[in-house]
Formats: sequence, structure tokens, C-alpha cells
Amino acid sequence: MIRIGFGKPLLVGLLLLLPVVLDSYTIHVAILIMLFAIVAVGLSLVMGFGGQVNLAQAAFFGTGAYASALLSTTYGWNPWLAAPVAVLTTCAVALTVAIPALRLQSHYLGIVSLGLALAFSSLLSNSDLTGGASGISKVPPLALPGLDLSGPRDYYYLVAIALILVVGFALFVGNTTLGRRFKAMRDDVLAAAASGIEIRYYRLMAFLLAGLVGGVAGVLYAHNARYVSPDTFGLGVMFLLLAMVIIGGQDSVWGAVVGAVLLITARNLLTGIQTYQQLVYGGLIVATVVFAPRGLAGAAADLRRRLNLPWPSILIPWLTRPGLPPPARLKVAPPAPEGVALRVDSVSKRFKGLHALVGVSLEVGAGEIHGIIGPNGSGKTTLFNVISGIYRPNSGRVFVWGRDVTGQRSFRMSRLGVARTFQNLRLFRQLTVLENVMVALDRDPAQAHIRYLIAPWVVVRNERARRARALRLLEDFDLHQVADELAVNLAYGRQRRLEIGRALAAEPTILLLDEPAAGLNAAEQEGLKATIRKIRGAGVTVVVIEHNMNLVMNVCERLTVFGHGKVIAAGTPREVASNPVVIEAYLGQGTPEAAAL
Amino acid sequence: MTYFLQTLVGGLGMGAVYALVAMGFSIVYRTMGLVNFAHADVVMIGAFLAATLFVTMHLPFAVAITAAVLLTAVIGLGIERILRPLESKDLNLMLIGTIGFGIMLQSAAILIWGSFGVAVPTPIPNVPIDVGGIIVTTYQLFVLAVSGIVMLLLYLFLDRTKLGTAMQAAAMDRSAATAMGVNVSSSNAIAFAIGSGIAAVAGALVGPLLYVNPALGVYVGIKGFAAAILGGFGSIPGAIVGGLIFGLIEAFAAGPLSAYSELLTFVVFAGAMMVRQTGIFGERTVDRA
Repeated sequence: MIRIGFGKPLLVGLLLLLPVVLDSYTIHVAILIMLFAIVAVGLSLVMGFGGQVNLAQAAFFGTGAYASALLSTTYGWNPWLAAPVAVLTTCAVALTVAIPALRLQSHYLGIVSLGLALAFSSLLSNSDLTGGASGISKVPPLALPGLDLSGPRDYYYLVAIALILVVGFALFVGNTTLGRRFKAMRDDVLAAAASGIEIRYYRLMAFLLAGLVGGVAGVLYAHNARYVSPDTFGLGVMFLLLAMVIIGGQDSVWGAVVGAVLLITARNLLTGIQTYQQLVYGGLIVATVVFAPRGLAGAAADLRRRLNLPWPSILIPWLTRPGLPPPARLKVAPPAPEGVALRVDSVSKRFKGLHALVGVSLEVGAGEIHGIIGPNGSGKTTLFNVISGIYRPNSGRVFVWGRDVTGQRSFRMSRLGVARTFQNLRLFRQLTVLENVMVALDRDPAQAHIRYLIAPWVVVRNERARRARALRLLEDFDLHQVADELAVNLAYGRQRRLEIGRALAAEPTILLLDEPAAGLNAAEQEGLKATIRKIRGAGVTVVVIEHNMNLVMNVCERLTVFGHGKVIAAGTPREVASNPVVIEAYLGQGTPEAAAL
Repeated sequence: MTYFLQTLVGGLGMGAVYALVAMGFSIVYRTMGLVNFAHADVVMIGAFLAATLFVTMHLPFAVAITAAVLLTAVIGLGIERILRPLESKDLNLMLIGTIGFGIMLQSAAILIWGSFGVAVPTPIPNVPIDVGGIIVTTYQLFVLAVSGIVMLLLYLFLDRTKLGTAMQAAAMDRSAATAMGVNVSSSNAIAFAIGSGIAAVAGALVGPLLYVNPALGVYVGIKGFAAAILGGFGSIPGAIVGGLIFGLIEAFAAGPLSAYSELLTFVVFAGAMMVRQTGIFGERTVDRA
């Protein structure tokens, strides 16, 4: 949640008082630190929060600087007009670099963005427009009446204000819905999409924010140094930024700031011996990823947890005011419409030569608990993937409440009321239990994020309501005691429960459970049965893939049996159990599953 | 037509070097799933080592290249050992770790050899040969021949030796390979050593073509990496084809638009990757839900 501690006002105060005691050289260094901190916060947003390996952040910084320099010298624009145009240009460049990210991730994205950054450097040094290797000099200063922005002291305040705004905005984003969606997408892209997050949009958005912030820093750099040259924005600087963010802690805004302070200070202390500093920060990167993967911020958080020290903080009263009306008890689902909830009509899915599904048809009535059984590899999970929009079928149609949803994407299926769990648990591992649920509870469309700019208080209000509802839901699942634990640290049975809770948080009308009993002990299995009945009791139609015959026979009202990608039998559990085709062709005499029938 | 063929032939030499770099990336990737960003700088270190032994210490080229291969193999082993705890944990973190190593190698090179670099003479007399109006130099042929031999040796190793087969098995399924008695850790270490060794061959060969300097890795290595991805990451034939394609794109872009050649190369690359993420020879892996 958003807390304003004693620390932040103190830091802001210090930041603003600093120039009084510093000499002008040190102020100059401080300006550089703040500029790098701004760029590093941008990198932390796109890479740490968004999980996008962006090795072009230095190029964003450079785009802002060069665009503003070019417009205010060669084209003679007023610097105050050149500056916003340069920031917008950087945003456009960032969105262009983001296009590959729509399809490429991880190291693929790393090499593509690195390549584009390299191309940017080579363009700067070779193009006549940008002055080649000698760069652009005589960039005019920004001018404000009454201030001397060509001197370091007044410029310091301009940069300090920019830093405060950027850090404040990044903290706000990082701790609320947008940042949570970024982190969800970083931790598990399939689960994020299945929770209603439109991945493409958020990848673009992550790059856009990185570009925006990088552009601002670039503009401020150009009008301070009054000179731009290619090597200020080359790969060396990119790696320096990377080191700041990794050492500080990838998904921590403060980490990025601390990283910038440490590395720029170190760089200035070690000026005669530049190569050694590079050796040192290369070594620090390696040491950090091996010994403290979450950086200084992660180490600090661990220490705090170990010593059990809460941050001294005063909560903003209007954020957590206890007198607020309690939010309405979570409605698990709207009352289900009558009729057929889900209809699959002769769906086929091929992977290269493999026919995973061949003309599969089935129907699930409103409010039914429908079981899908069959041997491993018979196409059950593939069917779920088709229904939930992860795969597009080669032929056939899927209807949800009579509406043709064939080939709709995953996030849209979530918004149409279909939620699912995954066979091999896909939680947002580095989010807390509460945040996992809040991701799914959050049904705001992506456009709603415009509120960050025009109505931030609405963001805060919604956040508070969402949090309260998420806590209620966690109580239903008996997970409220561990609400603030990271999902990855939960015991296995609880992780399974959390995944079902997260799916329900999306308020589905149809819930797809993929082997929910796998790995659960006997007591947990009993709990699961009760949970499934309760979910149906709340009006949700449940489709469950399961190997556990005890659960299937006791809970499901109808069954569909799969074999080699086809439906080989359907009916009530009793009918299926006595169906000779099922016994002969699928279960075979004497298997444990046959014995259970 | 002559211009076309001449440019084509010109691109083949660098293409073979990129292919070697790409093979080094690929063998590490296919064996342990690690994307070694430090590989580019291992190429540069290899180039410096070979240049020092050959130019400064006047050793025969064959001896210089062998020693460089052994020394970089040791560097590769060191990187693998230090990053081993991260293996199969977090791909992005490991990737960043190798970037850290790259930065260290680059600054180590500057400390040892200075930032200016050395010019390396060709190890054999570099004579232009006229083949039907197209000029081929003997050194280009030498580069192609050595690269071809290395590629053949690697293929024979992976396909015909017990150790090579075991490494392939470890690449396909770690746990099954472990159950069959394959030592997966040592197979990773060997992959790293071989990958780094091949990097040194590439570095040694590229020395006389370019100027050996600490930034060499950035240019040769990143294109080699991109070539590996373009060919289909982890695929050995893919690495060869990807490398040759990069050599050719570069040769054709360098003529008329030299200021924009890097931009053009990487925009073409980004576009190609968008169309086919798995590269030319890559298999699409299904992300199991």
C-alpha cells in the first residue's frame, strides 16, 4: 500500500537543502547523479517491473538529449518548445523499440534491443545531421525569468524537482494497479493473460514509461551540459544503467536511485582509473545476481524481515481511514444465466503432425459441475487451452453462454467470464498472496490507467476497495493469515488454493480447473471437494479435469471421457463407469482407476 | 552482376567468422539453456590472445591460435562455474550475470592491452586471386577453410563421440540424462569450454580482417549472437546459415549506405525475428499451460 513515512519528506528536504552546503563542482556531480537516477528509474519500470529486457534505455536517454539539442540549435526552436517535443519523440522511439517486444521476450528481446541501441550509436556517429563523432555543441540553456538556469545552483533545483516527480510517480505506479499488472505479466505471462491482462498493451506501456522518463532526463542533460556527443549514450552507459538497476534491486524504485548514487559517486571518486571502475561494476553485477538476486533493495527487505523491524511510517489518514463503510461482501459471481454455459462444437487442434484434438464436442449446462477424464496426452489440457483462448483451434467453434467466442484471446475470455487454473501452478511468484488476488479482482480496462494522469485519487480509492475485497476473498479461502507472504513461499497445498482463489477473484461465470487435486493430501482433497461444491453453490459453472477418481465420481454431475484427442464417452459418472467402451478401451481391467469405478 | 558476386564473396569471409561466433553461442545455449552475453567479449579476448602470441611473441599462427583456444576455454570454465548456482533458476538473471562478465572482460582487455588495439598481419601471404573477374584473397579462402574444419570437427564431436552424444542427451532432457548416468554439470562445463574455444578461433581469424581492439566484441560478437538467433537458437546448421546471412547483409549494406549499415542490419534482423521468432532452423517449443 501507499505509505508516506518519515523518510520521504526528510529525503526531499535534504535534497532541496543540499546546494546550500555544496560547492559548485559537487552540485554538478549531484545533477549528474539525479539525471542518471531518473533514467535508471525508467529502466527499473520497464525491466524490473515489466520484465522486458530493454538494453536500449541509454538510447532513449540519448534520443531525448539529441532531439532537444538538435531542435534548439540547428532548427533554432525555443528550448521550452524543443523540450516537450523531444520528450514526445523519445516516447515514439520507445514505442518503436517496443514493437519487437510484442513477439520477442527474454534474450531475444535483449539482443534485438541491444542491436537497435548499437544501431542508434552508429547512426549518431555517422550522420551529418547529428554532427557525427563531434556531436552538437552550443545547446542553449533553458531560461526562466528570475532564475539563472545556465548556472549549476538553479539548475539543480529544476533537476531535483524532476527527480522528485519521477520517483513519486514511479512509486505510485509501482504500488498500485498498473505496477501490479506489470509484475504479474513479468512473473507469468500466461496466467496474467488468463487474469484479464492485455499483454500487448502493457508491454507497450512499460516501454512508453521508460521512454518518457528517459526522454525527460535526456532533455535535462542536454540543456545542462550544453553539449551532446555519441559516447554519452553508448553501450558503456547502457551497462552502467543496467548495473545501477541490478545492484539497487530490479523491481525497486528506491533501488534504482540508490544504484545511481553509488555508481556515479564511485565513478567520480575513481576518475583517473576508469577501466578499474568498469571492472568493479562488472564484478558487482555478477556478485549481485549470484548472491543477492534482488539487489540491495531485496537484501534490505530481507534484513528488515529478519529483524522484524517495520518501517517507521505514518499512514496517510485518508488512505486507510478506519471509519470507512466496509466494502460489500465479495460477490463470487453474478447469478448464472439459464441454459447452456459452454458448448464446444467439433473442435480440432493440430500441432505439426500431432492431432491433439479431433472433432471434440461437448456441452456443459448452467450451474453444472462437469468432469473431464482421460489418460495423459489425450487432449484434456489442450481443450482448456482452446476454450480459454491460449490456442486458436484449427477448426470447430466454442460458445460461451450462446456467444461464439472461437479464437478470442486469453485476456478477453477472462473478461467474458471464463477463469481457469493451470495444471502446473502458475502463480505470480514474486507477488504477495494478496496481490495475486488483487490482480484478478482488477477488472478495469487498460484505458482506465489514464486516471494516473487525470484523476490519481480515483486510482487510490479503487485500490483501497480492491484490497478490502481481496482480503475478504482470502478469508473465504483461509489464506488471510498469509496475505503478505510472497506466493512463491507458500506451502504447496496453499499455492493450489490460492490459484483457485485467484481464478474466482475474476468473478467468472465459468471456472476451468486443471487437475486441482494433483499433489494434495487426503484432507486437502476433502477440502477441495467442499470448495468446488461451494463455488457451484455461488452460481458458477465448473469444468474440472481430474485423474482423482474419488473426486470425479463424488463431485461431478456429468463426465466427458477423452482418448487420443477424441471424446470416447459422456454421461453421468454412473453411466460412464458402466460403459463398456470406457472400461475396455480406456481404463482397461484391473487398473487402479478401473477399480475405483 | 560482377558487383553483386564480388560483394557476395566479400561477405562470405566475415560471414564465416559470424558463423563461428554463432556456433559458440549455440552450443552453450543448446546444452544448458544459458544465453551467454559474455561470449562476444570472449571472442575479443581470443583475438587479443592470438594477436599477442602471434605478433608480439612471434609464435607460429597455429601455435598462437591453439594457445588462445585453450586460454579462452579456461575463461569459459570460470564463467560457468561462477554462474552455476543460477542455472535453471532464472534465465533473465543469468543473462544479466553474463553481461556483467562481458563488462569485466572488456575492462580487463583495456587494462592488459590498452584501448588502442593492434593491427595483425595475415598469417599467410595475402594474394588476390582473379576468378572470372571476381577477386578472392588467399586469406579469405584460409578463413573459410579453417571455419569449415572447425564446424566439421564440432559436428563429428557431437554426433560421433560418446561424450558429444551424452551432451546432446543432457540438452534434451536434464533429468532423464542424469538418470542415465550423464554428468550434467560437467557436460555444461564442457559446452562452455568448447563454446569459448570456438570464440577464440573466430577472434584469431578476424584479427587480420579488422583491427583488434577492446570494442571488437561489441561489433563481431553481437552480430554473431544475432546470427545465432536468426538461424534458430541452439541449431548448429542454423548458426552457420545465420552467420553467412549476416555477413552478406552487412556486405551489401556497407556499399551504398555505410552510415546506416548498422541500423539497416539490425532493423532487418528485428523484422525477421518478428516474422519467425524461432529463426530459420529453430523448432517451435510449446509453452505448456
